[in-house]
Amino acid sequence: MIKDITIGQFFPGNSVIHKLDPRIKFVLTFVYIIIVFLCKNFVSLASIVVALIAVILLSKISPKLIWKSVKPIFIIIAITSLLQIFYNKDGTVLFTIGKFSLYTGGLYMALFTTVRIICLVIASSMLTYTTSPTMLTDAMERLFSPLKVIKINVHSIAMMMTIALRFIPTLIDEVDKIMSAQKARGADIESGGIIKRGKALVPVFIPLFINSFRRAYELAFAMECRCYRGGEGRTRLKVMRLAGRDYVAIAVIVLLTAGIIVSNKLLPAVI
Amino acid sequence: MPILETKNLSYVYSDGTPFRVTAIDNVNISIEKGEFVGIIGHTGSGKSTLVQHLNGLLTPTSGEVLLDGKNINESKVTRRQARFKVGLCFQYPEYQLFESTVYKDISFGPKNMGLSEEDVDSHVKKAAEFVGLKPDMLSKSPFDLSGGEKRRVAIAGVMAMEPEILILDEPSAGLDPRGRDMIADMISSYRKTTGSTVIIVSHSMEDVAKSADKVLVMNKAKVEMFGTVNEVFSKVERLAEIGLNVPQLTQIFLNLKHSGIDVRTDIYTIESAEAELLRLLREEGVLS
Repeated sequence: MIKDITIGQFFPGNSVIHKLDPRIKFVLTFVYIIIVFLCKNFVSLASIVVALIAVILLSKISPKLIWKSVKPIFIIIAITSLLQIFYNKDGTVLFTIGKFSLYTGGLYMALFTTVRIICLVIASSMLTYTTSPTMLTDAMERLFSPLKVIKINVHSIAMMMTIALRFIPTLIDEVDKIMSAQKARGADIESGGIIKRGKALVPVFIPLFINSFRRAYELAFAMECRCYRGGEGRTRLKVMRLAGRDYVAIAVIVLLTAGIIVSNKLLPAVI
Repeated sequence: MPILETKNLSYVYSDGTPFRVTAIDNVNISIEKGEFVGIIGHTGSGKSTLVQHLNGLLTPTSGEVLLDGKNINESKVTRRQARFKVGLCFQYPEYQLFESTVYKDISFGPKNMGLSEEDVDSHVKKAAEFVGLKPDMLSKSPFDLSGGEKRRVAIAGVMAMEPEILILDEPSAGLDPRGRDMIADMISSYRKTTGSTVIIVSHSMEDVAKSADKVLVMNKAKVEMFGTVNEVFSKVERLAEIGLNVPQLTQIFLNLKHSGIDVRTDIYTIESAEAELLRLLREEGVLS
C-alpha cells in the first residue's frame, strides 16, 4: 500500500557509495545531472550510462529497487519520445508510411531524451537510496552555509527539513493506522467517485492533522528540554571529513566532464 | 462449529525488499462463540497483525480466515461484511476520533452499516451506556474530553456496531489502574449483556488471567500456546524462556510452593488468592 513508495527512501548499506561524504555525493549528483544534458554524441551518452551502472553496481542496491524508481516515469518518457518522433523533422528521412515519415533527428532526439530522463531519475534516486535523510540535510546545511551572509538562517531551514523528512515515515504509518481503524468501523475509502472518496478521507485527515499538531508541540518541548536554541555555537557529533574515496569520486566526475566536453568538440553532434 | 477459525494463516510485510518480515507464520486457531480469548506476546510477535486479519483489514499472504465457516476474503463484499461482524478496536483508539461531537463519532460505524436513523440512535445510546458515558457528554466535542474518556468514546464507536466478535488491541494501554479496571469492567459487562465473543490483545498477564477463558501466546510470528488460562500459565518455564511472565499473583503462589508450602498454583484472581490463603492459614491453625 502506501508503505511501498520508494521515492526518497533510504536503504542502509555498507558500500563505497554509502560511505561517500554526503556533501560530495550531493554535489556530484548535481554535476552529473548537468553533464547528462551536455552529451551530444553516442560516445558521451554511453559514458554517462556506464558511469551510472558502475555506481549502481558499487552501491549493491538491488536492480528491483532501481526499476521501481523509474517505473512511474515511463508515461512521461513515452509521451516525450513520441512527440520527438512525430514532430522532429531534422536530418534525413529513414522511411515513410503514408503521411508519416521518420527522420533520423527525431529518432536520435527520442533516444537521447529517454536515456537522459532515465539517468536523471536513477541518479537522484541513487542519492537518496544511499544517503540517510539526516546526512543529506547535514550536507545541505554545510553546502549552503555561505548564505548566512545574506541573513538566511540555513541551520533552521536544514533542521526543519530534517524534522520533516524524519516524520514522513511516521506520518505514513499513522495514515495507514488511522485508515485501518476507520475501515474497521466500516468506512469505505477505496470505492466511489472523486467526491465520495474525498469525503471518505475526512475521517482520516482530521485525526492526522490533530495528531501532527500534538506531535509538533511535544517535539518542540522535548527539544527545548534538551536546551536546543538554534544553530549558534552548535557542534556536531559526526564531523564530516573527506576521505580518499571522496577524492577518487571527484576525480572520476572531473574526468567524465572533461571527456564529454572534449568529445563534444571532436565528434560531430548527433542532436 | 467455531465462529472464527484461521487455517495456515501467514503474512509477510514488504515482500521483495530488504525490509521483508514474516509477521505471522502458519497460524491455526479456532475460537468458539461466546469465548473470551486473551492474546499475549512480545512487541513484534505478530499479535496486532493477527487481529487485523480476523476482520479482513489485511489480506493474508497465504491461508484463510473463516468466519462462521466462510472465507472472509472471498470478495470485497464478504470482507466488508466481516468488518461489521468482527469489530476491531485499535491500540490508542482515541487518536482516531474526528467528528464534532461524541454522538456523531460513535454513530460513524452504525451509519456505515446502513442502519436506519432510529437504529443508529439506539445503537449509539446503548454503546454509550456500556462505556459509562453520561448522556450530556454525547453533545460535547471529543477533543474536549480527558484521555480516559476519549478512549471510552472510541471503544463505544466499535461497540455501537454491535459486532458478534469484539476485538480490542491493548484496550487499557497507557491508562492508570482505575482506568484499566473501568475498561475491564466495561468489556465484561458488554460480553455478559450481548453474549458476544471477545478477544483482547494485552501485555498485562493480570488482565488476561482475570477475564479470559483461553489464552493465545504468540512468539516470533508463531502460535506458541493456545489453551485455557490454567493450561497456559502452568507452563511457567516455557513462558519465562520466551520472556513472558505469569501474573504476579500466580508467581507468589509458585514461590510459596517452591519453598515447600503446599498451596494451589492455579491462582489468577485476588478472590481465589484470598480463599486459598485463608484455607492455608486455617489449616495451619493460625485462623480458626
